[in-house]
Amino acid sequence: MDAPQRPLAGSLSNRLAALALLVFSLIYGYAGSGIEYAFSSDPLGPRVFPVLLAAILALLSLIYLFVPGRSEAWPQGMVLMRCIALPALVLIAALLFEPIGFAGAMFVMTAGVGRIFGASWRASLIGGLVQAALWYLVFGYLLDVYLPVGELFAASRRG
Amino acid sequence: MTLDYLWTGFSVALSWQNLLIGLVGCFLGTIIGALPAIGPINGIALLLPIAYTLGLPPESTMILLAAIYTGSEYGGRISSILLNVPGDAGAVMTALDGNPLARQGRAGEALMISGLSSFVGGIIGVVGLTLFAPFLASLAIGFGPAEYFVLMVFAFATLGSMVGSQPVKTLIGCVLGLMLATVGLDPTSGAYRFTFDSPELGDGIDFVVLVIGLFSISEAMLMLESHATGTSIVGKVGRTFVRWKDVVFTTGATLRGSIIGFVVGVLPGTGASVASAVSYTLEKRVSDRDGTFGKGDMRGLASPEAANNSCAAGAFVPMLTLGVPGSGTTAVMLGALMLYNIQPGPQLFAERPEIVGGLIASLYIGNVLLLLLNIPFVGIFSRLLLLPNWILVPGILVLSVVGVYSTHASVEAVLLMLGIGCMGWLLRKLGFDMAPIILGFVLGKVMEVNLRNALAISGGELSILFQSHISIILWVLAAFVAVGPWALQRWSRRRAARV
Repeated sequence: MDAPQRPLAGSLSNRLAALALLVFSLIYGYAGSGIEYAFSSDPLGPRVFPVLLAAILALLSLIYLFVPGRSEAWPQGMVLMRCIALPALVLIAALLFEPIGFAGAMFVMTAGVGRIFGASWRASLIGGLVQAALWYLVFGYLLDVYLPVGELFAASRRG
Repeated sequence: MTLDYLWTGFSVALSWQNLLIGLVGCFLGTIIGALPAIGPINGIALLLPIAYTLGLPPESTMILLAAIYTGSEYGGRISSILLNVPGDAGAVMTALDGNPLARQGRAGEALMISGLSSFVGGIIGVVGLTLFAPFLASLAIGFGPAEYFVLMVFAFATLGSMVGSQPVKTLIGCVLGLMLATVGLDPTSGAYRFTFDSPELGDGIDFVVLVIGLFSISEAMLMLESHATGTSIVGKVGRTFVRWKDVVFTTGATLRGSIIGFVVGVLPGTGASVASAVSYTLEKRVSDRDGTFGKGDMRGLASPEAANNSCAAGAFVPMLTLGVPGSGTTAVMLGALMLYNIQPGPQLFAERPEIVGGLIASLYIGNVLLLLLNIPFVGIFSRLLLLPNWILVPGILVLSVVGVYSTHASVEAVLLMLGIGCMGWLLRKLGFDMAPIILGFVLGKVMEVNLRNALAISGGELSILFQSHISIILWVLAAFVAVGPWALQRWSRRRAARV
């Protein structure tokens, strides 16, 4: 998506990205040239297309390296902390998904993400509770999607 | 040329179940379009796995996704006009004249006129699709593997020269997408490629995981930054009415925008952002004699709105007839069809008329429903702009996690989605567009298979790629779109220097 209003940064990060892509193309090409196969019904086989792509990517990354172009400014300070916190919260929710179940994991995620988007503690906790309950009802009952209840609860129910 | 498929389509689309699905899609689409910062591609990415998990038949899924697509092209104008924050790239141009109108207290009129021009654009686009698609499909029957391969080269060439301002990054995105598509079992030789002996990667990278990672997780992270830097002020809608004078005043702009939108839509890979930009620029050149464009000219509003809706319909032409998507959003829809093991192409019209016809018929019905939804209820949709991000973003994340988990029932898939999302965020910060990656991914397997089949036919002779008239024309076109704009720019610069 185009976002012309955002501030633009220097070319260092672009050059680093170009180098990373170049290294990636070499590794991908090397791995592609070593693909093992017993037979192939076509003259090209499974190796040629990946090697061709690697060559094209290597060429494009070289152009990118010398003509790095524009990119957006990187976040700093609190914004950077929030940018790390968001995927971290999704990670925590994913890891909690099966142990404590859908509703609990989604509560942690929605309340946490609400908080980093500027809601007060109270608003984010209430928002998290409401969203966890609402989505549980929508998916679990209305749309009948399979969702984990949580091993802890399942165990206590059995006990 | 026969339009029988369309009658089959109307009987599918008018069943009560599909009508309801279409209505829900139009409603959700308008909401998705109206919400700032999320657009059609994000909406479709989020709702695709849910439609798939619900076990909807392919034609109903297509009707739902198409309704969301067209609905969000309508809805996109609401946040552009009232907030000056385009909901998606296709609505950027709408803000240029729409927001000044809102500031002059004419938001209601602006929403009405843009709603009408969206409708006209949408209908002209669907009529074009109805007439042009079977024609292109009958042409494409003659395509062999070599022609298909060259067609995809042409698609990437168009993408590189028309999408985004940094062609190298667009092309790198395409190649990355093609590379991602090579992961997994190679069907012709039985070799496992780039799977690192992991059984999960044997079937390749899952489309749902990739799309949600790229379009939803990375979007949420970007929203975090814009949240920190700006606050939004919602303009008042005011009185909603249409003045006959304004309709007459904008008719030319709407019609021109519709035609440009359709043509740009048909070109592979170029979506609503290109269509609305081209039509706005042209309209400004044609009509702006008093310098009123950018200060609240109704024509500057009508033209890009007609274009982005017409483009949405046009983008289905290459997707349905050639299997090459006309925009990023249709690339996601192509991936959705592949989930059902359906490969679009010229045979689809004859073999699965219920899907093609149902989809096209639903676009007619959808545009009428959207006009009805968007004219009287625009005030209600505009209230959505008051929804704070601290409610919206957690909701998007819940949908993402549920979408991925429900199609795989595995936490590993959610973790892969998260990893892909973080990579997507890095790439977007560096100025890469996500649509070329998706386009490369959905075309990757087909492109390789066609290349290998072509060379199997010729016994390894590369000359087969340059033999038929169609291939030669496509090569020439590809070279023209790749080099044309650059040469034109140089030529006009040299001319300017001479004068």
